[in-house]
Amino acid sequence: MITQEKIDTFIEKIPPSPKVLRETLMALNAGELPKAARAAKEDKALSNYLKHLVNRPLYGFREEVSDVSQIFGILGVAKSQQALYNYMLTLLSPEKWQLFKLNNNSFADLQAELSVGWQKILKHLQIDDKEIESAVSLLPASIIVAEALFCEKLDDVKLLRSVNEIDLNTILKRLCDMDLFDIAEKIAQKWDMDERIAQIVQASSGIKPSENETIEKLGKWMHMLLFFTLSKAEFIDAGLNDFIDFQIEYVADIYDEFAQVMEIA
Amino acid sequence: MRAVVKDGVGIFYPQGFLDGNSSASLLSIEDIESTTKLNADMILVSLKKVIFFNRNGLDTFIKLFQKVRSANHIVVGFCDYDTKKYHTIMKFYKDELMFSLFKTQEIASLFASNFNNQNKSVLLYSEDKSQRAAMAIELHDNGHNPIVAQTKEEFDEKSKNKNAYDCIIDDTFLGQMGQKVATRVTGNAIIYTLSSFLDAEIGNTFNIAYHNNSLNVGFRLFIFDAYKVVSMNVHALNFFSKLASSAAEYNATICFVGMTFEKTPLSFKETLEDSGIMFFEQMDDILGDKELLKELGASSAAAIKNKRALNKEIVTEIPNFIDATVATIEMMTNSKAVKEAVKIDQIEIGPKENKIASSIGFYGDIDGMVILVFPEGIAKKACELLIGESTDDKELILDTLAELVNIVGGKVKTLLSDQKINVDITLPRTYSEIDDLLEIAHDKKGVQVNLNFNNDNFLFFLTR
Repeated sequence: MITQEKIDTFIEKIPPSPKVLRETLMALNAGELPKAARAAKEDKALSNYLKHLVNRPLYGFREEVSDVSQIFGILGVAKSQQALYNYMLTLLSPEKWQLFKLNNNSFADLQAELSVGWQKILKHLQIDDKEIESAVSLLPASIIVAEALFCEKLDDVKLLRSVNEIDLNTILKRLCDMDLFDIAEKIAQKWDMDERIAQIVQASSGIKPSENETIEKLGKWMHMLLFFTLSKAEFIDAGLNDFIDFQIEYVADIYDEFAQVMEIA
Repeated sequence: MRAVVKDGVGIFYPQGFLDGNSSASLLSIEDIESTTKLNADMILVSLKKVIFFNRNGLDTFIKLFQKVRSANHIVVGFCDYDTKKYHTIMKFYKDELMFSLFKTQEIASLFASNFNNQNKSVLLYSEDKSQRAAMAIELHDNGHNPIVAQTKEEFDEKSKNKNAYDCIIDDTFLGQMGQKVATRVTGNAIIYTLSSFLDAEIGNTFNIAYHNNSLNVGFRLFIFDAYKVVSMNVHALNFFSKLASSAAEYNATICFVGMTFEKTPLSFKETLEDSGIMFFEQMDDILGDKELLKELGASSAAAIKNKRALNKEIVTEIPNFIDATVATIEMMTNSKAVKEAVKIDQIEIGPKENKIASSIGFYGDIDGMVILVFPEGIAKKACELLIGESTDDKELILDTLAELVNIVGGKVKTLLSDQKINVDITLPRTYSEIDDLLEIAHDKKGVQVNLNFNNDNFLFFLTR
């Protein structure tokens, strides 16, 4: 069993400790984009990350965008905030992934796919809320923590998997009494996110329904987005598709709408 | 991905969205091979946790299925789906469905040979009559008691009483059934479906070997469903004229139904009529007119051009033919067959009263025809299983008998293919009167085996 202290240690590593990041985030929280850009420019790695991020084909810009002020201007407050969370995660992501077959590039792809998908969903649902936009960053963050926890007991995990086709989330729960979504909730608390965000992520497990109608609805959409993304060949190969159990009945009623938003033929 | 193997059924559980890219990452031939090593005689992919799939996504699995099936001769397919998914798959694959579809794992396990929990009472229904028959046979073979609903209404009515059955089967398809070359209808007519533009390509797409063998078996009425034909050119005209001439040698009739001549010269119709082809506006004009159907579809004493002798290849395979027949009839009648006499000569039926018959042709590496003559008692008993209850409706018995003979043909095909002899089978032809059968078979030489099922005599005759 992995102790609570051990889990906390991993989650402790997550906070935005560098001063530059804190200043950028605070400026973004206050909606001051120029100030945030000035702060971000101080960190070359962050500037570089943002440049690579927005110039991914997924964002669809024809011309290369390289200036941080320009990038924040294009992304807007909420998306910039999310980009920053994603950057923080890349700092924490392991040099070498051991259980999941990921690398810096594929992990960044995962973040980008989830972020862009979540934005489309929120636009469709006409929800304009910076905190809710950032909620989706918690899932990749939890994957990093889960990878670290699994690596502590890699042999046990592999043994369990060889005996039975048991999903990793269940193994995670057995190893440390927390599943992926519990970890996400912990991270949300660490990041001082609104209480609703943790509830949305918990609802997105598909097995912990919320009594709040809006949270339940967002949970469903997030669950569907998670599976839509984890069904891509890159992430199936990485071993993420069978990380959690897809609750098809939970999302059946929004499938047609989802297919429309994601333009699934 | 690893399969869960239970009762000889290996099931893979992909989840999420299946398209051409993701499916290839989800399942590999190695995954399937390691499952077959665990004594799985059925490999299925569950669609329970799949919310979206497209044709490319399924194609990836199907390519793997084909490899495994040809190497291991096991049942392959999909399970755990709802009616919407079932119809989507049927629409994707239409007539090229070589894999099986089981609505639930429970249904799949009823068809698995390793399944030990037998003697289940099973209500089943399929729109396709051949499927109903095939499922009933397989279930019975596995020790269950199938009750077959003949219509959707009957199924809906019976399935209301859920407690009466251990399992209810619908939206299920057994993929090992033979190819669907044509559709047989009551009255021994064969219907071919044509569509779009008819040109020289018809010579390649029309299965002439199948057609000739159907003639050889005794079919005399061939209907071309031409509702969807846009136009016909002179090459197609020549093709159909020749087809009509060859049919005339057997006194067979060829009809076109629903053909319009808006974009085809009217003179073509006259030419085709001159060569003996008949035209009808509606399918019901033939099928609804029992008298006409009987007149056109009746056997005739036309001398068959090529009388052919049995050859060594066929004689060598006779035990296979007899085994397939005996096994099927024994199972259907729950009685033991005793072989009484074997002779090589012309068919000798004895008293003709209270007997019905059916014939089925096979062609390919070897060709010929199997004729089965049933005392009505055996036929009724054998059909009881397929119909689900006893009946005196002779038309229904004949139809069901045809399905039974179709199954015998399918078994023969499988047995021969195990020995690398590839054959296709025609649709079965039935005869309510023995005289009709004798018109086409009386002068043919063949192998006759008389079998005794509970003191009822049953006749097997193999000829060319």
